[in-house]
Amino acid sequence: MATKETFTDNKRVKDLIKLMSDHGLTEIELVEDKAKIRLKRDFAPVGMPMTAAPMMPMAHQVPIMAPTANPGTSAPAEDEGVIPIKSPMVGTFYTAANPDSDPFVKIGTTVGKDTVVCIIEAMKVFNEIRAEVSGVVTKMLVQNGQPVEYNQPLFMVKAQ
Amino acid sequence: MFSRILVANRGEIALRIIRACRELGVEVVAVYSEADRDAAYLKLADQAICIGPAAAAESYLNIPRIISAAEVADVQAIHPGFGFLSENAHFADVCRSCKIEFIGPSVESMKMLGSKLASKDLAKQCKVPLTPGSDGPVQSEKEAVEVAKKIGYPVIIKASAGGGGRGMRVAHNEITLKSSLNAARAEAEAAFKDATVFIEKYHEEPRHVEVQILGDKHGNVVHLFERDCSIQRRHQKLVEESPCPVIDEETRQELCESAVRLAKAAGYYSAATVEFVMDKQKKFYFLEVNTRIQVEHPVTESVTGQDLIQWQLRIAAGEKLDMAQKDIRLTGAAIECRINAEDPDRNFTPSPGLLEEFAPPGGPGVRLDTHAYQGYRIGPNYDSMIGKLIVHRPTRDQAIATMRRALDEFRAGPVKTTIPLHRFIMNSQDFRQSRVDTGWIERTRRVK
Repeated sequence: MATKETFTDNKRVKDLIKLMSDHGLTEIELVEDKAKIRLKRDFAPVGMPMTAAPMMPMAHQVPIMAPTANPGTSAPAEDEGVIPIKSPMVGTFYTAANPDSDPFVKIGTTVGKDTVVCIIEAMKVFNEIRAEVSGVVTKMLVQNGQPVEYNQPLFMVKAQ
Repeated sequence: MFSRILVANRGEIALRIIRACRELGVEVVAVYSEADRDAAYLKLADQAICIGPAAAAESYLNIPRIISAAEVADVQAIHPGFGFLSENAHFADVCRSCKIEFIGPSVESMKMLGSKLASKDLAKQCKVPLTPGSDGPVQSEKEAVEVAKKIGYPVIIKASAGGGGRGMRVAHNEITLKSSLNAARAEAEAAFKDATVFIEKYHEEPRHVEVQILGDKHGNVVHLFERDCSIQRRHQKLVEESPCPVIDEETRQELCESAVRLAKAAGYYSAATVEFVMDKQKKFYFLEVNTRIQVEHPVTESVTGQDLIQWQLRIAAGEKLDMAQKDIRLTGAAIECRINAEDPDRNFTPSPGLLEEFAPPGGPGVRLDTHAYQGYRIGPNYDSMIGKLIVHRPTRDQAIATMRRALDEFRAGPVKTTIPLHRFIMNSQDFRQSRVDTGWIERTRRVK
């Protein structure tokens, strides 16, 4: 049941975005073994297009910062990132609050950070899991009633 | 026998338990933190479940996560290994209330033997020798002198409220007793705001000798002889061996039988180790009980031929011990060296990193219990033990020769390990003649 696939670490991506923003950087690249992520932004007021390559969860990161030579130019828009919603616990995944209700979300549902996307039951306690990202659900990766582990990707969300 | 169990541990002991399960035909579920995601031993389990991030508090020590994993994987029992939750009575209780068997003792006997105070009371009742002392605080100098006279010098004055070596003074005679008493009281007051002190006999050059116990759920308890673990550094064992090279048969019997008496009185089942201090006169005194399997269990497995982890599983499943005390024999001599990723020349600082080179020893009489391999990354998150090298030979001298050979063959790097330190120990005359005590390694290498 343990999936050893790589996935994008959502929180790390957010931390990197904040780091760039705090220090006025336009480019960050992280390399760890076989995985790499590079974030690039322009100074246009609209959003922050970014590329997120799949990366292994890391214990030690070594950021290699590359401040751009031309802070004024805008970088071309890159493919929008698709971020996974991962399980914060071990338990059983349920798509709805109870067997008679509709599922919390479906493919195509727009979610906000606080949207409840599923239930994970652990030790007889039913935990509501929130999206923590805003966007549109593009994939459902697990089935109703399936056991899930910590950090297992549950949904893919096209971030907005 | 169980059909499926969960191992609530990691590294070398998790691998050991997985191996025992495989031989018994029991399905085994491993749990791991993000830091252990790539560990090769996980592939030997039938299932592996990620339970949390690297921090032990959110993974290997996290009861809800472990129980969730146990429920999701539908296991019948949990083996806690050693360390982590293995001596956590609350965890054992939670397991049982979730109808999951805890592979270890009952909650009641764990609490009784796990408490220093309660176990000492029980030891007294069972006529297990205890370090003589004042049996409570000393109120006056006169009382101190009387107690010291009765138990004999040297004595150690200890702060009731304390630890960490503070408020402790050793006195070798009545004159120094009086000044030490005042000094100890003052130190205790300053450090713990409590000047209460008590007195115990001071054991000079103590040896650490422990007895392996196995009990079943039908009231049978046996011992599997003793281990001498006197080579220590800061109370961490470095080398363990069986049998203890300096005691005679009579002392051995008394020692082991007293451990059995204690375990029986506590209604103990599963594996336990009863620890003693032994003084220069080969008199032993009860220290404490470890209500779990220990790191050095392979030493006993080697000399008795009994598989202790399999016994734990069998006992938990309700089986009776199939041997009587007289059927258990100690054959030959076994020595274990704990291989840690530490730098002995830099105060044993942990030395994590990639094991670029790992060429383990082999050949007759050699056993290596390790989860490490070439290419394994030793992380900084957990303890630094990367393996245990055990040898078993017909005599102690031969065991030492085999250990020296095995240590010479063993290549592990570039991280720093305790292999060179073990070579030093195996080559020392003191060790070969067993003229050692728990302070020996620190004195000899002048390390602290």
